[in-house]
Amino acid sequence: MSASQSAVRSRAEAVAVSRTFDWMILFTLFTAVLGGYHIHYMLTGGDWDFWSDWKDRRLWVTVAPIVSITFPAAVQAMLWYRYRLPVGATICVLALLLGEWINRYMNFWGWTYFPVNFCFPSNLMPGAIVLDVILMLGGSMTLTAVVGGLAWGLLFYPGNWPIIAPLHVPVEYNGMMFTLADLQGYHYVRTGTPEYIRMVEKGTLRTFGKDVAPVSAFFSGFVSVIIYFLWHFFGKWFNKTDFISGENV
Amino acid sequence: MAATTESVRADAAEAPLLNKTNLIAGFMLYLVFYSFIRWYEGVYGWSAGLDSFAPEFETYWMNMLYIELVLEVIISAALWGYIWKSRDRKVMSITPREELRRHFTHWTWLVMYGWAIYWGASYFTEQDGTWHQTIVRDTDFTPSHIIEFYLSYPIYIITGVSAFLYAKTRLPTYNEGLHLMYLVAVIGPFMILPNVGLNEWGHTFWFMEELFVAPLHYGFVFFGWAALAIMGVVNTEVMAITKLLKKDLA
Amino acid sequence: MKIIKDKVAKLSFVALLITMTAAIFYTPTASAHGEKSQAAFMRMRTIHWFDLNWSKDEVAINETMTISGKFHVFAGWPETVDKPEVAFLNIGIPGPVFIRAGSWIGDQLVPRSVSLELGETYTFKVLLKARRPGDWHVHTMLNVEGGGPIIGPGKWVTITGSMGQFVNPLVTLTGDTIDLEDYALDNIYFWHALWYAIGLAWLVFWAKRPMFIPRHIAVSSGKADTLISAGDKKVGIAFALGTMVLVAGSMASTNEKYPVTTPLQAGLMRGMVPIDMPATSVVVKVEDATYRVPGRAMQMTLTITNNGDSAVRLGEFMTASVRFLDADVLEDESGYPDDLLAEEGLTSSDNSPLAPGETRTVNVTASDAAWEVYRLADLIYDPDSRFAGLLFFFDEDGNRQMVMVDAPLIPSFI
Repeated sequence: MSASQSAVRSRAEAVAVSRTFDWMILFTLFTAVLGGYHIHYMLTGGDWDFWSDWKDRRLWVTVAPIVSITFPAAVQAMLWYRYRLPVGATICVLALLLGEWINRYMNFWGWTYFPVNFCFPSNLMPGAIVLDVILMLGGSMTLTAVVGGLAWGLLFYPGNWPIIAPLHVPVEYNGMMFTLADLQGYHYVRTGTPEYIRMVEKGTLRTFGKDVAPVSAFFSGFVSVIIYFLWHFFGKWFNKTDFISGENV
Repeated sequence: MAATTESVRADAAEAPLLNKTNLIAGFMLYLVFYSFIRWYEGVYGWSAGLDSFAPEFETYWMNMLYIELVLEVIISAALWGYIWKSRDRKVMSITPREELRRHFTHWTWLVMYGWAIYWGASYFTEQDGTWHQTIVRDTDFTPSHIIEFYLSYPIYIITGVSAFLYAKTRLPTYNEGLHLMYLVAVIGPFMILPNVGLNEWGHTFWFMEELFVAPLHYGFVFFGWAALAIMGVVNTEVMAITKLLKKDLA
Repeated sequence: MKIIKDKVAKLSFVALLITMTAAIFYTPTASAHGEKSQAAFMRMRTIHWFDLNWSKDEVAINETMTISGKFHVFAGWPETVDKPEVAFLNIGIPGPVFIRAGSWIGDQLVPRSVSLELGETYTFKVLLKARRPGDWHVHTMLNVEGGGPIIGPGKWVTITGSMGQFVNPLVTLTGDTIDLEDYALDNIYFWHALWYAIGLAWLVFWAKRPMFIPRHIAVSSGKADTLISAGDKKVGIAFALGTMVLVAGSMASTNEKYPVTTPLQAGLMRGMVPIDMPATSVVVKVEDATYRVPGRAMQMTLTITNNGDSAVRLGEFMTASVRFLDADVLEDESGYPDDLLAEEGLTSSDNSPLAPGETRTVNVTASDAAWEVYRLADLIYDPDSRFAGLLFFFDEDGNRQMVMVDAPLIPSFI
């Protein structure tokens, strides 16, 4: 191999090659993150995400941000620190939502016939954009964790409320009161998922009366801060470029 | 001068840096194959897949399982064997242009790996959720498991290991040892397959019902994190390609 | 050549779309449910379903049918299954082919989980409204937390018509009439599409310029700061502020549009009222019981004492939803599923009327292929080798008495 030889014929070709790699890298990053993030999210917060009658004011609001800030923190640790690209969280959420929507439409509706207004995913986009912009403006992991993590938790419920509010309108049905979301869960039979599996509205939260969603969101934001730190360092580890010798394997 | 003219002539005839046909054909191969699988599920999931003690279940689903397992063993052995057997023993003496070309081929493999991971970890894994929340689980080998665990997971494993072997056998970058994150990116998602053992054991002992967030499933989550190791692979690749392009990009 | 290639590509794509669409709208004949997989002891010793009635065999889309009957919560509940302190009256259908328009235990609507008592008998009713055409196996079903689904008998029901005609109208407490089948769907699509577009715009803003290699060169040569311009920061601030304004604004306008909303309704329902079964005057003692593997038959030696005031005869032995009848005493007129009914499956060494005050020891045999088909014979491989079931005795006037049996079982392999 001669060091003086060039891999490309011209600067134009170098630029084109670099750009082609951009797209190939972006595609692979997008799909691999989609796979990992989706499997993580569906198995740590999935049931809340699958069904409208799980999207409550307490557990959904608490659990979904905590388990979903993980991959955005890790991918930011790559894209910002190595490439100064403030899109780590947005890429993760775009990927996750694409995977979820394809599946909800093709399979939840297309294979097992649950109406889409019963099995739509949660919206994580507002938190993702704010998380990316805070990292870009501050350039600080700590600031992003504290301010961004808190925002991630706090924006979740209001970001979803326009989507779920119509389903929280009450209805009287055979002498009992339901929300429309409850009624969806009752009407559209999930044979393998009895009602007692549903983890919603647990606990009394008696002091705060009906305003439980802000309390849950605040707590969720607090834990999201901690999880952001943790996953930032996970992300750093996954960014390693070390080689090890065969003897160590 | 004569040498230069000759090399220019050779270049005119040489293969392009990125074989776009392979890239598109590979992409379409997964898409068309998985569309067929989705069609098969749509039809035979309902008509033959609800009762594992029915004869039609054996015909349409257990036979599917046997066929795919046999094919997977054959394909992985042939593909991995071929990549290894045809390895470049003089990998350190290739030209920069050939190295760049191989990086493109390597990235074609990595694009397929990402694509296969999408189908396995996202599409068919969440699909499993809707199937098991809809039907009564009466066997470890449900129609969605036969596709998810024993088809889509092996396919991304085959693709990932192939990408790894390609890099190891043909790219100077990977000659200095074993790339830790590449190992994690391939072995981690692979471990999801053995983890099926935990899943089935748990479902057989305790849960017939489907609660996706049950701690029983956390093994999948842990190994799913390994997909993030693709970041380490990207970083190494970017550094290697930068070396090849730096002076021309400046 | 290129034109042909393009055409082929286009056609394959169209074919792909057609295939996927065809798969979605395919109307199948479903196979049965997975009831046979459940351990025999679980089916024999947990919930006994009886007096069942499926109101129709065929329904059109939007029409309703009911499944009604009784279930007895067995007092000899197996130790390996959690007690039904948290249970849910479900329905064993392949997903939402029907909607569950109502379900009752006694007179109580039971949309949520309930607490049941061992040894009690409850009436139930499930109202179903047809949604998706096809032939479906419709089972009774009770889920028990810590035990899983306990599936009762199933019967084939045909739904005719087209799913497109299905409607699910409701009137909310705020006075609006809605169709729950597609209610608020446009709103869901709108908000998700809008937010996705905003996220995508942010990504495109950065992906429009060179991404990985040139930026790596800049970062690694200490010029990272040059990669984010003042303009980029302004755009970033606009995105973040825009996001927060949109979140706050859409929340406020939603609250204005839906001033009345309530939290999801949840919580265990207690106090299910059982029915009073007629007092039993017949006492049965199981002397021994064997299952003959080659003969697909269970033999019991029973000592029966009649403490009542009219003569009785044994008419039926029911276990795990399989009904073994003595045709001389009882004929089924309820349209019970054929595969679960052994019309002449019960024979007794002496089934003449047992007079009041009389005690008699008889050999009773329950034989039918159902032992194998429904994998009840696997009882002999269970970790707790007992059998259980219900015996029904009838007097001359047709009055029925239900007696539980629960005893060890010895397999016979020869």
